[in-house]
Amino acid sequence: MKVKVKLYTILKKYAKGKILGDGSIILKKVTTLQELTNDYLAIPNKIGIVFLVNNTPQDKDYILCEGDEVKIFSLICGG
Amino acid sequence: MNNILNYSSNQLRISLSDASFKLEKIPEKVLQNYLGGVGYAAKVLYEELNEGIDPLSPENKLIFATGPLTSYQVPGGGSIEICFKSPLTKAWGESRCGGDFGPELKKASYDFLIVEGKSSQPVYLFIHDKQVEFRNANHLVGKKVSEKTRIIREELEDQDISIMCIGIAGENLVSIASIMSEDRAAGRCGAGAVMGSKNLIAIAVKGSDKLQPKNPEDFNIALKEVRKVLKESEFVKGLRQFGTIGDMAGNDAAGDWPTKNWQSNSWGKAEKLYDHYLKNNFVKNKMCYKGCPIACGRVAKVEEGRFKTPQHEGAEYESVSAFTAFVFNQDMDAAIHSTYLCNELGIDTISAGAVIAFAMECYEHKLISKEEADGLDLSWGNPEVLPILVDKIVQREGLGNLLADGVARAAQKIGPQAEEYAVHGKGLEGPAHDPRSGKLLAVTYGTANRGMCHIHPLEGMAYDSGKITWGMTPYGVPDPNQLDRWDEKGKGAITKTLQDGLIMPDVLGVCKFFMYAGITLEHYAKILSALTGWQLNGADLLRIGERVNNLQRLFNIREGIGRKNDLLHERVKSLPQFGLYHKEEKCAIKDYEGMLKEYYQARGWDSQTGIPKQEKLRELGLNLV
Repeated sequence: MKVKVKLYTILKKYAKGKILGDGSIILKKVTTLQELTNDYLAIPNKIGIVFLVNNTPQDKDYILCEGDEVKIFSLICGG
Repeated sequence: MNNILNYSSNQLRISLSDASFKLEKIPEKVLQNYLGGVGYAAKVLYEELNEGIDPLSPENKLIFATGPLTSYQVPGGGSIEICFKSPLTKAWGESRCGGDFGPELKKASYDFLIVEGKSSQPVYLFIHDKQVEFRNANHLVGKKVSEKTRIIREELEDQDISIMCIGIAGENLVSIASIMSEDRAAGRCGAGAVMGSKNLIAIAVKGSDKLQPKNPEDFNIALKEVRKVLKESEFVKGLRQFGTIGDMAGNDAAGDWPTKNWQSNSWGKAEKLYDHYLKNNFVKNKMCYKGCPIACGRVAKVEEGRFKTPQHEGAEYESVSAFTAFVFNQDMDAAIHSTYLCNELGIDTISAGAVIAFAMECYEHKLISKEEADGLDLSWGNPEVLPILVDKIVQREGLGNLLADGVARAAQKIGPQAEEYAVHGKGLEGPAHDPRSGKLLAVTYGTANRGMCHIHPLEGMAYDSGKITWGMTPYGVPDPNQLDRWDEKGKGAITKTLQDGLIMPDVLGVCKFFMYAGITLEHYAKILSALTGWQLNGADLLRIGERVNNLQRLFNIREGIGRKNDLLHERVKSLPQFGLYHKEEKCAIKDYEGMLKEYYQARGWDSQTGIPKQEKLRELGLNLV
């Protein structure tokens, strides 16, 4: 299954070598957002994260579907 | 310096009424209990101001307070706190500014500068070590902040001297006027109006003293430890690279971006706005004081067009949000230009954006007519009117005169329906964070001593959404990863501990971002112990934070501001009217009163009146205050 993933600010570095040139990532099985960040992107658990899937807020338990567009944010200082 | 080292234990008391000054020593015991910054200043203002004074009368005092760690040598030590009774809220007023002024005041051997009375003519102060001069400032009146700064530097033949001054807004006693240090602002609560009411236009300071720790070896070890933490901190790298404005898109996505005068907590436009800024406005990053290891400041510009703006330090998250999301404006150039004008003319960007958003909503509902708006089209998001309204507020001209005293008083004058659109806490306009992104922020907004501010509640959304703990878990703050950001139960008690711990940068005289970077109360206690020879630990600092929060509360109680003012505006509790979260029932605040009750209990305050109980005051040594 292929989904598009975009990482922002301090999370951008976790894309290296994992997200393809077209901004997508190939998932081997049914995958939640939590599994995407843990298993595929290796973002440390302690970092607070907010997800938008197809521009709608979703919890970490959301199960990804083919073609989903995922945006992942973490705050730097809050602003 | 002498006595308690690093602390000079000196305060310089300036009487503007008769152009005199005197040097006073502060007893060591007092400093041990209140340290500095907003702590020691709370003691002075509580003891020296009479109840109910007019904040713009000569009876008010303006305290420029460093803290024991304010110094170029301490990472984050480029800080100054300004404390006073606020003309905007009539309550406890404080405003922090980053930059060189604090370290220079300390180098001149003063921990605190207490400004009293009123000069008969506009003056500025020149402080150079033991030398204090009162100088005529008639020629500075009506000038912009950058012009005042340039002229004073030329007169003093010192291009490096540190200057804080008011803008034209302060001269016109605008209640949301700031005090500026070049492009950096002590923005909130109307400090600029207090300074203007005293006919004090500027203060220039330079010192030549050096920090002398009591235990230099321990001091260097403690600083080395801190520098190691900072070197490894992802936060430091992130803030240096992206600045505070880098959080715009994430906060919008998190529902932490108040939009259209708080009608929503998100907009979905921040990413596009940020991209425009990055491509067209961003120039480079900048340190706010000499040697800051974070350098979160941004230099921005608008190259051409009707909002053409020279290079300046700005484009901060709060300022830009106030002139985009608050007012529903999608033109980033207009926002950059308007915030630049706010700084040049000396008004708080947050309150300015908020009061314009309020006016736009009143205009929509025909509470302000086009004629009353001086012929301007105040339709939502109209970028053309933003700089015009900034100037009108500063000049107190036409509609600007109504808006110059903030949303609460403007609503009182317009009528009851306008109250619905006047979002504030204790009279202070809300900043660009929304408690519908995480419930802890609701209690911090409701209970912060200076009102709905962006500093003391900053830890709200950073805990709920950012999962940051600031090393506070040993003091009973639960792991935020174990709590849902939408949970309400437990958040009142957590707020109490976070407020007491996270007020400490403002007491110690350092930038709060360094606690976000991983510097804890234990780190600060080690540095402070080495500096002073006192033996302090993190728990001691937490207790001092609690004492200071309670003393500021007592100041407000004496002014008649208590339980009835610990409010959160109904709109801020409600389901957003549009945006990413308008169907997300969990984000609405369901039991604010329950969270507040829990907070009072944790604080040891009476649940009916919100007044600290006698046993709590005894425990904190405040019963004799």
